[in-house]
Amino acid sequence: MRLLLVELTRFRSRRAIVLVLVAAALLTTLVTATTLWDTRPVSAADRAAAEATAAREAADPMFQNDFRQCQESPQDFLGPAATAEDCEQILPQAEWYLDRGALDLAAQNDSAATAVTVTLVALLLVVGTTFAGADWATGSLSNQLLFEPRRGRIWLAKAGAVLVAATVAAVVLLGGFWLAMFLAADARGITTPGEAITDIAWTSARAVALVAGAAVGAYALTMLLRHTVGTLATLFAYVVGGEILLLSLPFDGVGRWSLSNNVFAWLYDGYEYYDPTVSCPAGEEFCEQVARVTLEQGTWFLGALVLLVVVLSLPSFRRRDVP
Amino acid sequence: MSETVIETIGLRKEFRTRRGRHIVAVHDLDLAVPAGGVHGFLGPNGSGKTTTIRMLLGLARASKGQMRLFGRPVPEHLPEVIGRIGAVVEQPKFVPTFTGRKNLTLLARTGGVPSTRVDAALAQVGLTGLDKERFRGYSLGMKQRLAIAATLLKNPDLLILDEPTNGLDPAGIRDIRDMIRGLGESGVTVLLSSHILAEVQQVCDSVSIIGNGRLLAAGKVDELVSGHGGGTTRVGISDPGAAADHLVRAGYSVTRDNGHLLVDGPGRADQITRILAAKELYVHELTPVRADLESIFLELTKGEALQASTPSDAGTTTGGAA
Repeated sequence: MRLLLVELTRFRSRRAIVLVLVAAALLTTLVTATTLWDTRPVSAADRAAAEATAAREAADPMFQNDFRQCQESPQDFLGPAATAEDCEQILPQAEWYLDRGALDLAAQNDSAATAVTVTLVALLLVVGTTFAGADWATGSLSNQLLFEPRRGRIWLAKAGAVLVAATVAAVVLLGGFWLAMFLAADARGITTPGEAITDIAWTSARAVALVAGAAVGAYALTMLLRHTVGTLATLFAYVVGGEILLLSLPFDGVGRWSLSNNVFAWLYDGYEYYDPTVSCPAGEEFCEQVARVTLEQGTWFLGALVLLVVVLSLPSFRRRDVP
Repeated sequence: MSETVIETIGLRKEFRTRRGRHIVAVHDLDLAVPAGGVHGFLGPNGSGKTTTIRMLLGLARASKGQMRLFGRPVPEHLPEVIGRIGAVVEQPKFVPTFTGRKNLTLLARTGGVPSTRVDAALAQVGLTGLDKERFRGYSLGMKQRLAIAATLLKNPDLLILDEPTNGLDPAGIRDIRDMIRGLGESGVTVLLSSHILAEVQQVCDSVSIIGNGRLLAAGKVDELVSGHGGGTTRVGISDPGAAADHLVRAGYSVTRDNGHLLVDGPGRADQITRILAAKELYVHELTPVRADLESIFLELTKGEALQASTPSDAGTTTGGAA
């Protein structure tokens, strides 16, 4: 516990880490503000502006020409049952220019909340990496070991600090995002079904775990590789290069092992993705070529990844010489 | 307390470089540092001093051999004795963006040392009032002082200092030297690894000299100095060539030195005068040559370079596929 508190102090004292966390807060705020702005209720001024735009567009000679032809032969334009009165609908309507939807929390769970989660995962990866990398770069780790030579304890205390800090950051920022969404929905008189709220709660809990796991995994990998830039390059190579390489392999069902598919399966309680290697049932020439990664499969995949790095990192740190 | 604070038996460190070269940094080293006083640990760069210290402190694994600190086998029992040991290994290593105080406070908390020790340690090295500055803004001397302050946090019984006066100005060197001497006199055992041989001779009670990872000599400084070169006599004479011939025939080893003779061999100075006087050669100078630590060191290490050539203290290459 003493070592964990020391590492938490070290964590919050690191300026680079504070800057990354501030960036995470700013980006979350930006996503929140953008979401609220894009779903704001239509005001009288918005409607008046839309009507003015529609009227201006309707006066365009091209629309007027179409309108005249429609009135002359409405069936050619709008089908056999159409009358001349129906031709009004081919002219620009005010609704066309009021296309923003109302705030839908269930939909935001799949869009804006995912953006916040992905942002937090990316930034907390950097945090986990730089927290460990700075100790190696400055050589201060050897100094710490002169005060606590039990390396396993040092490793675990640092991992604990990363886990606690990443969890708190994710809870606060994702919680803040959803608090703003629920308050806005309430203020706008939008009700959300209980089932959607339960879904949001579970997705958020899994998102927090994903952020914390990513940060701890990045920390463990840095303790193994002993270099911030090296770790970030390895992570980038795996996330980007690994995906490209995987999808180019001449085997069926490789999408099952894609990192992004498994991440989304974890977040969304299963994930369907396009897979051109999926065969259509006998007798069907066309079908939906979709494969699915389940939540359970995603859990095993991501858990195994983090566990693998930890299993390599901790014994390595305990055995190898410290510069 | 054990009579021997630091003990290594057959300590060996081997490793392979990235190019596959097999390096033996420490060759079956037997080292014994008695309790109390200041013990010098000398050796040219690459002789294995720092590697030995790093193995003792658990920062590097020994390939073979045994190590004991305060009589306890390490690294197995290092956690039991680490609270009694303060150490600076190579250059000061702190978080550059933290203040001196923050660095020390975090280390104190890591080791379970009361934070109140921080002020005392800072005062002991003269950093009071400068502790609020970031470590990266410190001069080299201030960094060195902070590293020494860190070693004092634990009120250690054993202090291991690797080149502690690096980067210090003359006044700073004197302060640290006085501090080391004071600690040694107060009962703390100090292992001082240094290239500055005059400093070691001034401060240390005993010394171990290593070269190529092997122990070359060990003992009290006075005994080492008197045991080396005590039989050499500087002879001034008008005909050094003839005198040298007679002395060699009498069983002495003679070398020429700027018109003088340096005579080694059995017997006393009066025998030299008697031999030469019998041949009607009369000396005008007869001086016993006192060795100093530097000459002993150079003799034992065969003049290996004292100046830093590589940052690591990595011993000898013994083979491999370079």
